[in-house]
Amino acid sequence: MGIFSALSGIFGIGKKQVNIIVVGLDNSGKSTFLNHLRPVDQRSSQIVPTVGFSMSNFSTGNLTFNAFDMAGQGKYRSMWESYYGTSQALIFVVDSADRMRIPLARDEFWMIMDHKDIANRPIPIMVLANKMDETDAMSASEISVSLGLDVIRGRHWSIQATCATSGVGLDKALEWLSVEVQRFLDSRKT
Amino acid sequence: MSGKPKAQSRMKRDKKDEESSGNLYAHLDKTSVLQEARAFNETPINARKCSLILTKLLYIIQQGESIGRTEATEAFFAVTKLWQSKDANLRRLVYLVVKELSNISDDVIIVTSSLTKDMTGREDVYRPASIRALCRITDTGMLQTIERYMKQAIVDRNGSVSSAAIVSSTHLMKKSSEVVRRWANEVQEAVSSDNHMVQYHALGLLYHIRCNDRLAVNKLVQKFSKNSLRSPYAVCYLIRIAARCLVEDDQPDSSMFTFIESSLRHKSEMVVYEAASAIVSLPHTTSAELQPAIAVLQLFCSSPKAALRFAAVRTLNKVAMAHPTAVMSCNVDLEKLITDSNRSIATLAITTLLKTGAESSVERLMQQISGFVNEISDEFKIVVVDAIRSLCSRYPRKHAVMMPFLAKMLRNDGSFEYKKAIVETIIAIIEENPDAKTAGLAHLCEFIEDCEHDNLSTRVLHLLGREAPKTPNPSSYIRFIYNRVILESTKVRAAAVTALAKFGAQCVDLRKSIQVLLRRCLLDSDDEVRDRATFYLKMLTEAGESVIHNFILDGLQISPSGLERAVLDYLKSGNYSAPFDLRIVPVSTQALSQPEKLEPYAAQLAAIPEIAKLGPVFKSGTRIALTESIAEYTVHLIKHTFANAIVLQFECKNTMNDQLLLDVSVELEDPESEWQPSGSIEIPKLPYGEAQSAYTILEFPESGAISGSLGAILKFKVMDVDPTSGEPDSEDTYDQTYVLEEVEIAVSDSIQAVSKSSFASAWEALGEDSAREETFQLSTVDTIPEAVKKIAEILGLSPCERSDRVGEGKTQHTVLLSGIFRGGYDVLSKATVAIDPSDNSINMNIIIRSTEPLVSDLVISAVV
Repeated sequence: MGIFSALSGIFGIGKKQVNIIVVGLDNSGKSTFLNHLRPVDQRSSQIVPTVGFSMSNFSTGNLTFNAFDMAGQGKYRSMWESYYGTSQALIFVVDSADRMRIPLARDEFWMIMDHKDIANRPIPIMVLANKMDETDAMSASEISVSLGLDVIRGRHWSIQATCATSGVGLDKALEWLSVEVQRFLDSRKT
Repeated sequence: MSGKPKAQSRMKRDKKDEESSGNLYAHLDKTSVLQEARAFNETPINARKCSLILTKLLYIIQQGESIGRTEATEAFFAVTKLWQSKDANLRRLVYLVVKELSNISDDVIIVTSSLTKDMTGREDVYRPASIRALCRITDTGMLQTIERYMKQAIVDRNGSVSSAAIVSSTHLMKKSSEVVRRWANEVQEAVSSDNHMVQYHALGLLYHIRCNDRLAVNKLVQKFSKNSLRSPYAVCYLIRIAARCLVEDDQPDSSMFTFIESSLRHKSEMVVYEAASAIVSLPHTTSAELQPAIAVLQLFCSSPKAALRFAAVRTLNKVAMAHPTAVMSCNVDLEKLITDSNRSIATLAITTLLKTGAESSVERLMQQISGFVNEISDEFKIVVVDAIRSLCSRYPRKHAVMMPFLAKMLRNDGSFEYKKAIVETIIAIIEENPDAKTAGLAHLCEFIEDCEHDNLSTRVLHLLGREAPKTPNPSSYIRFIYNRVILESTKVRAAAVTALAKFGAQCVDLRKSIQVLLRRCLLDSDDEVRDRATFYLKMLTEAGESVIHNFILDGLQISPSGLERAVLDYLKSGNYSAPFDLRIVPVSTQALSQPEKLEPYAAQLAAIPEIAKLGPVFKSGTRIALTESIAEYTVHLIKHTFANAIVLQFECKNTMNDQLLLDVSVELEDPESEWQPSGSIEIPKLPYGEAQSAYTILEFPESGAISGSLGAILKFKVMDVDPTSGEPDSEDTYDQTYVLEEVEIAVSDSIQAVSKSSFASAWEALGEDSAREETFQLSTVDTIPEAVKKIAEILGLSPCERSDRVGEGKTQHTVLLSGIFRGGYDVLSKATVAIDPSDNSINMNIIIRSTEPLVSDLVISAVV
């Protein structure tokens, strides 16, 4: 942290920092999504399965996001909950082409929604219907129905069709997210 | 820019605060630190505050505070959130905390990806530390996932990254050596690095990878000794490897020694010293080989660098006993170091001279060292004490100079280790040199008058109880011992009571006075002391001489678990008409205070009904191989002696993967038809790779023979099986036999070696009736020590009162032996070995006494 960022932190003129948590089943494209948000020269050419979690930062408008990219493999899913309490937004990534595991994704999604650190805090939820470029992919509305998003009450959520490898749809998703996070932070202040 | 002076002034203020309050971390509370750790969950992260909390956390862990698993896990997950901060110092503290918490927290692998990212990232400050943390949290299963990164890191151009990876791999070797072995190529590449540190670490890891393969290690040394390594550390390490090869190999490669010797001419002093130190520590070096190394050390003795002088004199001190003549050549240089301003060097120089010097110079050196003995640390005082100890064994007559010196050192303040060394030395001198006994005991008596270490007091009291009654004037010691009963802690009081009782048991004329003293102890505040006093008083007043001897001087020599089993059997039997017989309890050679050795066979034998009814095991022998270790079927014999029978346990192993053995048994044949098996238990089924036992029970013959040699044949049926599945090919079997080596039953199988602490009174107690005497010539041995060892081995008896040590150049020696014959009969033996001056043959006169004349007959017949 340089002297300028330290200063700007003190006077509150810098970008506001928020924590978000990125979850979803394994091989749904979480790390690829975050990789795409990095500057071109810092992207890694090869994405390997995450073990535990990995941190990455990106910013939009006046917010700096610290994203906790959680591992999606079954044995690591129990570790997600340690990070719910400190997050101001949640991104749930779904592999739209993996019809077989949509019910599993639905179970995991609702497990998160019912967790005490999420259920009691109206943080915004962004669902990314990823891998839209695949031929067999389901549409965003289909996924919305399959996950049961329509029965969510009392919080802001959105679903966005994306392709993390090419970056289609990511800008829209982040735009929505930064507006909602700002709204969430403001609502807590008052 | 206005922030800069502000930050500076804050730093100043902080500094002042720290100075005024002393140690900032002195009074930390675990709970409050863990509470503070919640600050890690805040956004944005205050790096300064978090760094302080992490430091506190590290501090309490280092102080040995134990943190519970849930608390640790919670703290760990909070710490993982600090990854969002980009502050370099904070991140490096995070690595340290992750390492510390890795053992006590769950789910530590969650940081694997984050650490992998840091270790492959661009931030050079992060890379080494993250490698170290990553290797600490990774277990064998996860190692595969980071293998690729580790290989890259080992050959990294950055020295600290490469070193960190290599050192971490060395630690990983302990857990998952197989995986690390696959990195040998990368490690080899790292050995040729320009960086001194990397080269040293890589060589170390390469050695660890290959250390099980002697040939590979030899090759390694040869290869690197030729193309000279740049790093002096690596050369030092190579010298150590070479020296180890030389020590371990039976036929060492001469090129190894040549390499070490050539290192004596290396340009780095460190390497030169390492080589010299390696050469002088090698066993079996000739004086010609030693000479250059000693010369180097001699040169270092006069070096202006204190570290070199210290290293040289320390090495000389260590090898002074092994090569006295070689070290003596340095005496002139060592003399100069006596007055060295560095006390450690001076002490080592003096003690070296004490070890090698002539008898005449001892007084002068002792005077010199007593001048500054108060100025040196306890550690070096112990070195001095050790030197005195070895000096006393070389020049026994000098004890008159040493004893007062040791006593003076004993009076000064010092740590437990230091006092222990002195007490041990005095005890050793007393035991080796009868002339020093009176003076030594007097000094020890004085010592326990004012000794704060209970352990040493009890030890001295035990010694007094054993040795003092045999001195000309035993009554003079009683006052010292009785003072302990009045003044000291429970432990010491109990020991003092026991010591008093030993006086009463051995000195008949003092017995009355001892009884008076013991009676006073009956009112002690502690029950252990009262119990002991009551017991001893009863013994001394009412019991006969032999009972006093058995119960006060020798104590119970039985195995506690054996006693437990025997008493349990007695209670279960329901027949209480006969009193419990202590003689059926298996004896043990170990003192009761020592942890009992596990008896591996007792439970195994008790599970077999035929054997269980024979009663408790008297003695189990060692495992003897009856076949070559590479034979198709290997058989080991373990002999178990019972009161009236001997059980032979044949542990058979089938090493043929295409055979299944059925009905395995061992057939015994006695050429003299004395021994007849009264029962046997065969192995019904013996698959490949398994070891099982067959048993044969032999009762001791009516004729009274207790030795014999029996032919043994392994008999079994073979069924051919498929080597891979272990399924039988067909139901057909065929008989086969396999000749084993002969089974020897010797007199030593019937005797358990148990040493007596006071042989003479036990000898008198047994009386003349059972004595048997025999004299014969020994043709197979040439020296007295050999004869002494042999006789103890043949009889299976244990030497008493250190009589198995034979003084050098003596032409006659008496060894005192004792043991217990199966059934609980004491057996004592006095064997006098002498060299016949006319033809240098060895003659032996042996007298055997026992509680049962028949036993004496049996034992003596075994010798003849």
